[in-house]
Amino acid sequence: MNSLTFLRGSSSWMKTTITLLSLATLTACGGGGGGGDSSSDSSGLSDSGYATEQAVLQPVSTNTVAKPANRQEAARFLTQATFGPTDESINRLMSIGYSAWLQEQFASKSARTYVSYWDKRTAALKIERRNAGAIATSTEINHAFWAKAVADKDQLRQRVAFALSEIFVISMQEGCAASNTRGTSSYMDMLGQKAFGTYRDLLESVTLHPIMGCYLSHLRNQKENPATGRVPDENFAREIMQLFSIGLVQLNPDGTPKLDTSGRPLETYGPTDVSGLAKVFTGWSFSCPDWPQDGCFLWGMKGTNPNYNPLKWISPMRPYAKYHSTSEKRFLGTVIPPQSTPDPAGSLKVALDTIANHPNVGPFIGKQLIQRLVTSNPSPAYVKRVASVFNASKGSLQATVVAILMDPEARDMTKVNDPSFGKVREPLLRLSAVLRAYQATSQTGDYLLWSTHDPATGLGQAPLQSPSVFNFFRPGYTAPNSFTSGEGLVAPELQIVHESSAAGYVNTLVGALTYGLGAKGYTNTSSTPDVRFNYQINPSNPLFNMSPEALVEDANQRLMYGTLPEYLRTEIVNAVKSVYVGSKTKQTAEDAAETRRRRVMTAVLLVAASPEFQVQK
Amino acid sequence: MKSFTQNPSRRLFLRQAASFSALGTAAPFAMNLAALGSAAAQTTSDYKALVCVFLSGGNDAYNTVLATDSASWSSYNAVRNLGGESIALNSSQVLPLNPVNALPRGRTMGLHPQLTGLQTLFNQHRRLAIVGNVGPLVEPVTKDEYMRQARRLPSKLFSHNDQQATWQAMAPEGVSKGWGGRLADLMAADNGNSLFTGISVGGNAVWVTGQTVKQYQLAPGKVPRFGVYANADGVDRIYGSAEAGEALKRIGSAYRAGNPFESDLREVGRRSIAAERVLSTALPSETQAPFGPSTQLLYRRPDGVTEINPLAQQLQMVARSIAARGSLGMKRQVFFVNLGGFDTHDGQMAKHAVLMARLSHAMAYFDTVIQSLGMGNNVTTFTASDFGRTFTSNGDGSDHGWGAHHFVMGGAVQGGTLVGELPVYGTKQANSNQFDGSPDQIANGAMLPKVSVDQYASVLGRWFGASSGALQTIFPNLANFSAPTNFLG
Repeated sequence: MNSLTFLRGSSSWMKTTITLLSLATLTACGGGGGGGDSSSDSSGLSDSGYATEQAVLQPVSTNTVAKPANRQEAARFLTQATFGPTDESINRLMSIGYSAWLQEQFASKSARTYVSYWDKRTAALKIERRNAGAIATSTEINHAFWAKAVADKDQLRQRVAFALSEIFVISMQEGCAASNTRGTSSYMDMLGQKAFGTYRDLLESVTLHPIMGCYLSHLRNQKENPATGRVPDENFAREIMQLFSIGLVQLNPDGTPKLDTSGRPLETYGPTDVSGLAKVFTGWSFSCPDWPQDGCFLWGMKGTNPNYNPLKWISPMRPYAKYHSTSEKRFLGTVIPPQSTPDPAGSLKVALDTIANHPNVGPFIGKQLIQRLVTSNPSPAYVKRVASVFNASKGSLQATVVAILMDPEARDMTKVNDPSFGKVREPLLRLSAVLRAYQATSQTGDYLLWSTHDPATGLGQAPLQSPSVFNFFRPGYTAPNSFTSGEGLVAPELQIVHESSAAGYVNTLVGALTYGLGAKGYTNTSSTPDVRFNYQINPSNPLFNMSPEALVEDANQRLMYGTLPEYLRTEIVNAVKSVYVGSKTKQTAEDAAETRRRRVMTAVLLVAASPEFQVQK
Repeated sequence: MKSFTQNPSRRLFLRQAASFSALGTAAPFAMNLAALGSAAAQTTSDYKALVCVFLSGGNDAYNTVLATDSASWSSYNAVRNLGGESIALNSSQVLPLNPVNALPRGRTMGLHPQLTGLQTLFNQHRRLAIVGNVGPLVEPVTKDEYMRQARRLPSKLFSHNDQQATWQAMAPEGVSKGWGGRLADLMAADNGNSLFTGISVGGNAVWVTGQTVKQYQLAPGKVPRFGVYANADGVDRIYGSAEAGEALKRIGSAYRAGNPFESDLREVGRRSIAAERVLSTALPSETQAPFGPSTQLLYRRPDGVTEINPLAQQLQMVARSIAARGSLGMKRQVFFVNLGGFDTHDGQMAKHAVLMARLSHAMAYFDTVIQSLGMGNNVTTFTASDFGRTFTSNGDGSDHGWGAHHFVMGGAVQGGTLVGELPVYGTKQANSNQFDGSPDQIANGAMLPKVSVDQYASVLGRWFGASSGALQTIFPNLANFSAPTNFLG
């Protein structure tokens, strides 16, 4: 167990699998990973937010440090594990190898948090706008997302947090998350902090986050009243099962559905499970200095004083016994007996333990994380390997992420030529990869990108702007009448690819490569957009001295780890060569410089706009 | 084949008789309808469009169309008005409806206070019908049979995504062909440009996709060009180069065998470029009458604030597309628009009022524009939603239900009618939310549908021109219901 090898060259995949399982065991034995701490949170009594991190993987001693065989392998790994490879990150991974790189990432935590940025900008906005009531909004959450994606070092943590935000969805398309953006900021911070802990702990933090409570309406949810006919709100009870844990149908460990004798999928729960579980999520509301007074339960404030409780949207919800159902609660084969004294924390612990221990969780959550990071159509064996690590590690997300990224199916370089492998890059990850590959920086340091939500003028996707709790796209989406569906492949990200968003993506690239991206400073009064590529600010960028052939090969390496097909190389090289400014016979120095600039933009645009880039392989 | 208009059992809420008189001569149109009804001949010389207005999240039908007779209101108020954050509307503010024919058993009905536009369409213009208690069904089911699990039921009831798919495509999530697209399949050959047969302005929707018809997705406002720009010479360029401009379009759109994900992206690119090329000249400007000026898209929120109505924006694009039917060569089209936010588990009264205001304003705006285009009898607009909601209150909202009432709008519609029935409202029992007093309500008072989506949709499909045989194929469960479209009898 002390010797751990993630990878032994690129040939011995069996060896890799065995060592991954030993990592999982190690994690489970390591003391922090068992989820045993989670119940201590269930009282919700802490106002300290989500600062504690659990389940830190114990340091691993390694006799052999597996390293990527070449820069292409490194870049491909970093495409799966980060917001896009950079020269720097490739160098680091090449130098220290997978195991050490993962350990480094697990330990890494950026000083920049969503909440700290929200606070900083709120203070500044009051001055900039001469308005004491000014506060940060969804605009600033967008900034923080891009700052972390493009610039911060804790890339794996943020990449996984983003994936989690697409499973445990809240959305600023609706009131709660849009109106209380400090709370929304803290939700994103929470996902980052819990990304490498246990699933059980994450599930509890998600459940008790007041923004989730507001979004799925279990905040302030009250017990039933047989006299009036009032019933508990079923919203969260339904969605925690359908979307956050087990799904609608029973799964085999490899993620395939279990079937009844007539070949129909077996459902995991029915309406009575929903109504039974709904009672658990009664009697939870704001954390509040006056807890458990009614004013706290109902409004998180005292009297009508809105300034009384500034922490209410960022502190875990707390139990209010008075509003908790005491009747019997039946769900998923578990029975919580009638309570003589209402015990919301006790009910919650039983419910979350029951859900987290359901055999569906490993394949259900594991497969979705594979889809977010690596491939849309993992083999059942891949899902099974990941689910078994999930189970053996008692739901350690850290061990699960390692299992996903270091799986033979993920690391096998020959998969780049397998047409059923890979996934369409979602628009945000396309743009982040381009920004990182070409060393985009922010003048303010705060990455003031505009929202990319609009499909015709943006990307048709912006962080935390999904239309509903069902995310931008569904894990089982198949595009009707499509090539992928003809091959029996799901393609979740194609759900937001359409005639308008396809043009919107290319147009966004054209604009970004020409001018940069985002507001012109905090007050939009500077001369240039805040985020620009290095070649837009550095006249001696080496790109300007490259031939068309070299520019295209450089883009091939930066964006596609060497997978650019020859036909496309020829096409793009010819297009780059066709770009020419000025007189054909006597080009001025200025025109020559402009030609070089446009050729850089053309090479990057045509590679990044290509379907070959848009599919992560 | 006998014209279905002569068959009382098939008398639909679509106003064929009125259409005859409007045309002056009944016979040719009747023959035309008969021709449309046969699978062999679906050639059309006219134009028809179906427009699906999807209310995402599950609209609370109980607060949309209200039973206002005293017995019903008494039950409604007892169940929904719990004091505090009641989810019962105030009876004095409900908008009364005057149906063409009195409702059975002395019942009366009204609309949510924000549905003023729809009230006018129903009471005065008679261009709006209400279909009561529609929902997905496999076969008819009584409450007793439901309780005993004695009948086949649609799978994954109460689940948003699955019931959205079931409404749109007769099966849970994962189904690949919707009934709008399949109806359009039958007629697509008559269209001059197949690209525009099925259009969604409301995001990805399986309803629009058929066997051959693929949805074309438009965003409201301008149709974006794929990267390139053109100077006065009309040549597409990128960074000054026409060759690079052509390369961009080839890379993004030219078919290549190989990776299927890439092939799908190229196909979308191809459609994007082809559609924009046509639409950029064919679509009338959004600012010109009758589509604009843009102030027409403003609606008044219940709190008095005036803002852009996102549903009206989408319907404006539909209307512009319909106006361009001539230059696009379109004869039959299906359109999908979408208004979200109906999952009113909490804060329902305020949230739902905003949504009702949007729905009413957008439908009335669209009807006015469509009539200005002279297409008032050629476009039928209808609502759909994930499901209805519970009758009971969870304090300040309602939960996922099943059956719901829906609106159908247009000149072909038997306006001012209630098709089907409003459910019998059960009175609340002590310690039970099973509503034993109502044959139409199940646990928590959710409506047990009496009209199946197949029936509802088949009526629309028949108007659109589908034959009985085609309807039986598209809606295989239609045969399980005793009389075709018996909800209209």
